[in-house]
Amino acid sequence: MRRSRHTLAFLTGLCLLAGTQAALAAAPGPYLAGLRRLTESQYRNSISDIFGPDILVQGKFEPDQRVGGLLAASSSTLSITPAGFEGYAKIADGIARQVVDEKHRAKLLACTPKSAAASDRGCASQIFEKIGLQLFRRPLTSEELKARLDAADAVTKQSGNFYTGIRYSLTTLLSAPDFLFRTEIAVPAGKAYTLDGYSRAARLSYMLWDTTPDEGLLTAARTGALDSDAGVKTEVARLMASPRLEVGMRSFFSDFLQLDTLGTITKDPTIYPKYSDEIAASAREETLRTSMDLVLKNNGDFRELFTTRKTFINRPLAWIYDVPYNLDGAWMPYEFHDGDGRSGIVTQASMLSMFSHPGRSSPTKRGVALMDIFLCEPTPTPPANVDFSIVNDTNNPKLRTVRDRLMAHATTPTCASCHTHSDPIGLSLEQFDSVGERRLKDDGRDIDVSAVIADKHFEGAGGLGQYLHDNPRVPACFVRKLYAYGVGASSEDIQTATVRSYLNGFTTGGYQVPALLKSIVTSPQFFAAPPPAPANPSVKTATR
Amino acid sequence: MTPTRRFLLRGLFQGSAAIMALPFLDCFLDSKGQALAATGQKIPTRFGTFFWGCGLTKALYLPKSTGLNYEDTPQLASLKPYKSKLNLLSGFRAYVDDKPNIQHWTGNAAITTGIAPATDFSFDAKTIDQTIADTISHGARFRSIEVSCCGNKRESYSSLGGSNTNPPEVSPLGLYTRLFGPGFQDPSKGDWTPSPEIMLQRSVLSVVSDDRKALWKTVGAGDRARLDQYFTSVREFEKTLDAELQRPEIVAQVTIPPSPDELPMNKSVPNLRKVTPVLAKLLAIGLATDQTRIFNMAFSEPASTIYMPGDSRPFHQSTHEEPIDETVGYQPITSKFSTYSMEGFATLVEALDGIKEGDGTLLDHSLVLAYTDTSNAKLHAVDGIPMILAGSASGRMKTGSHIAGTGSTVARVGLTVQQAMGLSVDRWGTDSNNTNKPITEILA
Repeated sequence: MRRSRHTLAFLTGLCLLAGTQAALAAAPGPYLAGLRRLTESQYRNSISDIFGPDILVQGKFEPDQRVGGLLAASSSTLSITPAGFEGYAKIADGIARQVVDEKHRAKLLACTPKSAAASDRGCASQIFEKIGLQLFRRPLTSEELKARLDAADAVTKQSGNFYTGIRYSLTTLLSAPDFLFRTEIAVPAGKAYTLDGYSRAARLSYMLWDTTPDEGLLTAARTGALDSDAGVKTEVARLMASPRLEVGMRSFFSDFLQLDTLGTITKDPTIYPKYSDEIAASAREETLRTSMDLVLKNNGDFRELFTTRKTFINRPLAWIYDVPYNLDGAWMPYEFHDGDGRSGIVTQASMLSMFSHPGRSSPTKRGVALMDIFLCEPTPTPPANVDFSIVNDTNNPKLRTVRDRLMAHATTPTCASCHTHSDPIGLSLEQFDSVGERRLKDDGRDIDVSAVIADKHFEGAGGLGQYLHDNPRVPACFVRKLYAYGVGASSEDIQTATVRSYLNGFTTGGYQVPALLKSIVTSPQFFAAPPPAPANPSVKTATR
Repeated sequence: MTPTRRFLLRGLFQGSAAIMALPFLDCFLDSKGQALAATGQKIPTRFGTFFWGCGLTKALYLPKSTGLNYEDTPQLASLKPYKSKLNLLSGFRAYVDDKPNIQHWTGNAAITTGIAPATDFSFDAKTIDQTIADTISHGARFRSIEVSCCGNKRESYSSLGGSNTNPPEVSPLGLYTRLFGPGFQDPSKGDWTPSPEIMLQRSVLSVVSDDRKALWKTVGAGDRARLDQYFTSVREFEKTLDAELQRPEIVAQVTIPPSPDELPMNKSVPNLRKVTPVLAKLLAIGLATDQTRIFNMAFSEPASTIYMPGDSRPFHQSTHEEPIDETVGYQPITSKFSTYSMEGFATLVEALDGIKEGDGTLLDHSLVLAYTDTSNAKLHAVDGIPMILAGSASGRMKTGSHIAGTGSTVARVGLTVQQAMGLSVDRWGTDSNNTNKPITEILA
């Protein structure tokens, strides 16, 4: 399985550490323990919170990658490419231009200069101290501030405009690694290491609200309140009581359920004329609304995500689901009937269409994806020389349906080990086509949706929903991914003991997600840092 | 009006009647290209890649004879007009040694790095285009330009190493804006002066590029590499701004077309047929105007899932599921997707060859490596991966041959390419892919 470079670096660090224990013991100062590239939504939310929602963020972001089932984990492994930096620089230029324009400057800048045509270092200092704290999620150092003031001075001198100086200097904050990456600073704590207050503030804020720390968190970091368990609990209580918790949880569920996939799939319009970008966006929203309603608004049992028939639909989705839509508004709650064959989010248009081909459903794709997402069981890649032709020989009179052909292939010994693993899940969903519409026949014959996993027999989507609901691996996997999301690691690298430390409470507490979230973010473990790497005087970043 | 301009008007954005009425940037070079070249201005040599997934059909593409004047084969029919300007490479093998054959990835990464990759979606070294960029991109505006014909923002196989890839442009409009939008220096302006905005932007960038903190010395090896990559990227952006502050000197006979419309981007073959030529032509103009000297175009992803509307099987699925028709000895439907991929490549070659430059064409001053992930996709085979080298690299390549690799490493192709591009390298690749034997038959 894929192992994150983060972990490798960490392990390398450990090995080297053993040899330099003495040297390190002498000088255990603060060190850089993690570097996490802001996701696009974190970037957008941060700018919106710092400068206001009317500041447009326009440009191209570098894509992230799914590691251990989560895009969030790639924030710890990816860097910024030349084309990526160019994109960030352009976005920064656009933001800075708006922040200093006549419409916004009075509101967004902490000071008005004596003259708009000349340098005013004192005034610029106030401006950059405030914005710098917000963008870097910690106060600027005196060197960092001086560099910005000098740059602003020089540009003002050249242009004869104070605000032009602020504008260009502001782009250097927005393009700095300290903004584009969350720099996680660790300090010694007894024999171990833990994140410092500002890094804790950022970790909490991005986990719970998907945005930059607010004034309250930054103050708690400055006063040292966040260094204590009690201080963390106070802040967590405040953050979790806010409606903004939903922003954070939507971001997590979108990542966990891989809903970004809806932005990259296409469907063949000659086969699925109903499908459109609007359907894709609606399907994503439906799944997020269902999830938020169940786990946040109703504080319900997380496992009911697999069994509930309650959902939210809009007009385009009503078309896909073939149900009446008699509301003037955009969204309405809807409950499927018993005979509709729907069972929770696995039978929503989002999941059904994401893991299908452009022109047909795929039991294997669905099975592999659901195993990975909900059971944390990625399927190994098939052997290189598999003969799949039987799967598609539609002329074979004995193998008429997708199921017949897939099963004939899957009983080949080399294939069986994986297919018995993932296919039953997918086959139980075969009554839904590639865009999530119900269908009961394949090639004129009734679709058989019976399935067997580990001697457990179940029938159709309802049976699958109940199987996932009752499977103890599902909540364990959820805990693993929620924790990995928060700390920015691959879910495959999270220790089983760490998962267990939260799972027991989750189980006995009735699988309530807010309580689980609280137990994670208030535990000292959540802020633990790997030991420092040995000092390296030949660091390339220190020279040019 | 030059033929080039008519070619652009006719071919580039068909169906948009408003184009004619829009103010063009004037046809700024017309006949000057020849003159400039005649006065000794050096025309840069460009390097590019064209990637498509799932290989070709051996029975339909592989000529029996090698060397010059090899016989035509049906799968390469679209490239026939350019046969004398390209080399067909067959029979080269990606050696995996003790590493796994990572399906649809090993072949791809081994060809561009000379190293069989250890993990999926990760490169064990800088890809060849980026290595060449280190030598030839200085002075051009962009270090490299990547394009995804399917419009997938993750579809790029150009990397400085690791799992980070250089993000692609995903639509004609996006590519146009990058090349000819803000920052593009219009060389037709008689009173050209450097943009004051770019000067200011350039002047403050050192605040970022010089900001090396003591704290960063404390970082672990993995994160240190990520910081290094960040600072490399800042430096590249400084070079971009430097190039934008130079008066452009362009020798090609091209016209900058008006901005294209936003087009739908997806994996259906008819759509790819529509957008690929548009992307190719924009890219060619970008090269001709020296916006970049390096490009990477991905026609489809490894394990290509391009599809024909109405047929529920995409390419990759088809390679595994379609039975071999014993009467012809191959998979008939699957083979068509390979043919479509070659048609896509032909539009790129056509676009490059359609721009006159000096006493030849842009293609003559380029070298393009077209490559794929497997030979026989049904078996994920990485021996005999088909490749094509188009263009003569300003005379450093001899063209028109079919070269049989007879099981030698794919790294020989990468080594040959680097030597043709003027890099001082005599050995490339690791383990069994390590080689000091370029394909001397085609090096001039």
